[in-house]
Formats: sequence, C-alpha cells, structure tokens
Amino acid sequence: MAETLFEKIWNSHVVVERENEPSLIYIDRHLVHEVTSPQAFDGLRLNNRKVRRPDLTIATIDHNVPTTDRSLPMIDETSSTQIKTLEQNCKDFGIKLFGINDPNQGIVHVIGPQLGITLPGSTIVCGDSHTSTQGAFGAFAFGIGTSEVEHTLATQTLWLEKPKTFEIFATGKRNNSFAVTSKDIILSIIKKIGTDGGTGHVLEYRGDAINDLSMEQRMTICNMSIEAGSRAGLIAPDAKTFDYINNKKYTPKNYDELVETWKETLMSDTNVKFDKSFTIDVEKIEPQVSWGTNPAMVSDVTGIVPTPEEYGQNNDVQVESAKKALAYMNLEPETPIVEISIDRVFIGSCTNARLEDLKDAAEIVRGKKVNPNVSAMVVPGSQMVKHEAEKLGLDKIFIDANFEWRESGCSMCLGMNPDILKPGERCASTSNRNFEGRQGSGGRTHLVSPVMAAASAITGHFIDVREWS
Amino acid sequence: MIGNVIKYEQDNIDTDVIIPGTYLKIHDYNELATHAMEGIDPEFPSKVKEGDFIVAGKNFGCGSSREHAPIALSTCGIKAVIATSFARIFYRNSVDGAFLLPIEIDDETYLKISNSDQLEVNIEKNEIKNLTKNEVYNIKPFSEIIAKIIAAGGLFKYKK
Repeated sequence: MAETLFEKIWNSHVVVERENEPSLIYIDRHLVHEVTSPQAFDGLRLNNRKVRRPDLTIATIDHNVPTTDRSLPMIDETSSTQIKTLEQNCKDFGIKLFGINDPNQGIVHVIGPQLGITLPGSTIVCGDSHTSTQGAFGAFAFGIGTSEVEHTLATQTLWLEKPKTFEIFATGKRNNSFAVTSKDIILSIIKKIGTDGGTGHVLEYRGDAINDLSMEQRMTICNMSIEAGSRAGLIAPDAKTFDYINNKKYTPKNYDELVETWKETLMSDTNVKFDKSFTIDVEKIEPQVSWGTNPAMVSDVTGIVPTPEEYGQNNDVQVESAKKALAYMNLEPETPIVEISIDRVFIGSCTNARLEDLKDAAEIVRGKKVNPNVSAMVVPGSQMVKHEAEKLGLDKIFIDANFEWRESGCSMCLGMNPDILKPGERCASTSNRNFEGRQGSGGRTHLVSPVMAAASAITGHFIDVREWS
Repeated sequence: MIGNVIKYEQDNIDTDVIIPGTYLKIHDYNELATHAMEGIDPEFPSKVKEGDFIVAGKNFGCGSSREHAPIALSTCGIKAVIATSFARIFYRNSVDGAFLLPIEIDDETYLKISNSDQLEVNIEKNEIKNLTKNEVYNIKPFSEIIAKIIAAGGLFKYKK
C-alpha cells in the first residue's frame, strides 16, 4: 500500500501497536532545555529511575540565558537557579550539555541541525513546541510536555496517538526570491488554513516551491507548523538536506551509506492519499506583516489592517477576537500596513536567526542607520551562527547601523530573560508568536521576515521590501 | 464532579496568556498558580474556587509546550477546561500529568453555557448537566487512548 513519508517514519518506529490503543513509539533523539525539564528529572529521582539512553539525549540552555556579556554574573536569581539545576541534572544523569559558555550553545532547534544531531527519517522530541523546525530534514520532530519529557528520559519511548496526514502543496515561483521569504510563505499558509487548521495532523510540505528553498528557509516553514495547530511539519530530504548534515560534529560515521538508504526510502509514495490537502501558489505571495494577536492575523505589506467584520466573515467569535486584537495592538481598521510605525526590532528566534537570515538582513542594513525612533537588536540563533556571521563581518554591518549585536538564545521571542518589550511598545519581530504579552506584558508584536524587520528598523515603519534599494 | 463556570468567550486562548513566559522559571506550583490566566484575566486567581470549570471557544491552549499551563490552572482548583477544541500539546499535558480534564463540546453547547452556571460533569456518561439552567449536554467522548490514560491517573500510571 502506498504510504506517506510520515507513515513510513512512524511505521519504522513502532514498538507496540494494538487496535484502539496508543502506539508505543521509539524516540531516536531527545533534546532538553532548562525550562521544561526540571520536574521531569525530579520525577526520575523520586522513582529511582535512570535516563535510559543518555547517549541519545542532548541538553542546552537557551530560554532564559542573558544575551549580554556572559562573563558577568546573572542578575536574575530564578533564571540562574534554573540554569544551575539543568547543569546539575545533566551531571547526575550523564547527559551531554552545551552550557552557557560552550561554543555550541544556542537555541535547541538551531543547534540540532548544526551539530548533525538531526537526521532524516528519525523521531526527535523536545519539551518545546518548535521542535517541528527539525522536520525540515525529513524527521518526525515534535514538541512534548514535561510528563512526556520524563517518560522519554526513562524509557526512550512515548505513547502516541497516530496523527493524520496533511499535504501542503506549494507551486509556482516567488516573484522576488530575496524580499518574499519562506516566512512569508508560512504566514500565508497559516492565514489560509487557520491557527487550528492542522490540528491532529502532520503537515508535509511538497512541490517545486518547497524544493526551491534552502535548508534554512525550509526550517522556518517547518518551525511555524505548530502555529497552524499541527503535530509536526516535514519535508522530504533531498541533496540539499544531505549536504547540510554532512561533516558536522555528530554526523554518523557511516553517513554515505545512510544517505543511500534515505534516498531510496524517505519520500511519500507516488499517488499516495493524504487525509487532507491544501495548495498554495507562491507567485502571488507578497511580503507579510501580522497585525493581530495570533499568527493567522496577517496582511500583505501593500494591504491594510482589516475591519473586524472583514476578518470575521460573519463569525461573531472571530469578529470579537479581531476587535480585541485591534484594541490590544492599538490599531485602527483600514490603516495601511506601511503606515504602522514601530519602536523596536528583534531579529532572532528559532524561526529566523540562522546565518542566511542574518546575511539577508545585513544586505538590507549595509551602509544605513537605524531610524532614531527605533531600537533594534540581532540575537543569533546559536554561538555557531554568531561566530560564522562574525567571520563574514555581519556583526560590523549591524553595529555600524546602530543595531545591538547580542549573544545567542531565545531572548525576546518569549520574554523569559531581560530582553522584553515595555508595555505599549510596538515591535517588528522575526519570531513566531504575536500572542498578547508574549514579548513582555503589554508589548505589541508584528511577525515579519528578517528582511522586513531590517528594512523597518531603517525606515521606522513597514515597507515593501521588494522596492528596497 | 460539580463546579461553577468561568467563561471566556474567546477562541485561541494561548499558553502565553494562561501562564506568561516570565513565570516559567517558577518551580513552586502554588506560586505559579498566583499568575494563572494573568495575560487575559489578572483577577482569575482571586475569583477561582476549588472545583470550578473554565469554558472557552476553539483551539484552547495553543502555543507553547509548557506543562506549566495545565499545572497553573489545576493548582488554582480548575478540574476541567470545557472548550470546543484544544491544541494538542495542552490536551496531552492535561491528561498526562492528571492535572485536569480537557472536555470537548460542540458550538451549540458552548453558546448555551453561561458564566457562573453550575455544572455537573460526568465523563462516564459523556454528559454535562447544567444545574442552573436544568439542561443536559453531550460531551464529545474521549478517544479510547486518552480515556485509558485518564482512567489510569496519568501517563506514568498507564502501563501495558
């Protein structure tokens, strides 16, 4: 019987499967960070359990690390405690930790692929919803809660309900491959299918427009799969995938052999039936800017903030939610997107803080200055990204333009460390969630691509980056 | 299970408003509970009573994988969240740690239940009695998989 890529990965990881029971699925890699793991380790201690496969478990510290000078002591005591707790837990249970001063430290979903830990055809979990990022390599990668973190630590398996499959077919060619980014593609998809359009499903992105993307661009797409409610997002591996993972720190020794097997097996069979399907033509996609408080509330940069009625389309709850969102965002309906002024710019997060993102943003910024009304920062996704960017001189371009150039971490994406918006501040952010208070209580987030964020830092408002010169 | 309703007439109540990111450093459940729902209803911890139910629209708990979200609600006394649909990680977190019951209802039932109504929730019969309005509604049954984890009292007690 014809199978989808997801079904092939699932079937090759089933330990136990019975009708009307959850399936016990083997987990190949478990990534751990400081925020969702402390209770899981406590649970292991309480029950005298060990970590079953410390060799398949890798930890880093990303959520609450300061992005300023790390030779200074941390001011936030609770963050410091949480970090020390993970350090102790990794020591006690024999887990490899890329700690705060490690050259491989970084956002967990950024370092997995950079270290060659993320492999095609594997199952990957982490106590973090954006684990879906790593689906870009043809892995079934998904976020779990702390109880499941504990279960994985103890057994290297998880009891799961088998998700359904959802094909996202992207055709056409982007009308400007620099200014219309994979962030704009995924925001357009979420706008169409909604924040719960993928619930209970694994999305498989396919089609020429997906094949055309680089690995880092594909990661941005898979990263935001969770914002459409889906369990995971994935893309069949190809030559770009195999090149990306080659010669990394943890690339397997028999890599060439593995690639040969992956080439033959890791794709959805021809004419296979997905449970759901959605087609999008990327040629029609413009640079996107979110105006509301969820990632489906998005407009074209040449468009306007919609009226609640237009957004809600006769659905009272939707109309109300748009009214509430506009009040929170302090925006009037029908305001042209390009007339929205901003106070802050954040280029960072597991969505858009890899080397290509920083290169593209630097291309916009080069030789220009941040608008005097704006404060802007770049937070590389990992120390490796930071180091590579510095080798290319990108740090100088940003610093000369009056951007702050920071140490790596999750930073202002979720406001767990001191990098937060003040109440009422409006931010162009390359992150993934524009929820109320996400970047700081009362802060207002507009989700955009790195080039849009960079351009708006210069102009002080959103702008059609296709016309940037 | 009898309790009173705290209703939020909203879809997409996300984990960042249920428990904002800045509090994810807190290890103590009781302290965490003092910030529950702070993002949309700062009065929540002072008004919620042991046994209460939250009623909301679709895609409840979307966003982060933080188990702190069901923990904060459950430590406040919330026994069930009754919504038209749930985001998947929140749903599993709720039952995996046996924190609270995520109960799905249809749109019509959602409209019939009002704030402060007293409900009796019976998951064996898959029904909700509205004691205030003297009405009976159906619950969308749990999948067998989830029902078994709930019956066992959480993921770690569920063994094959």
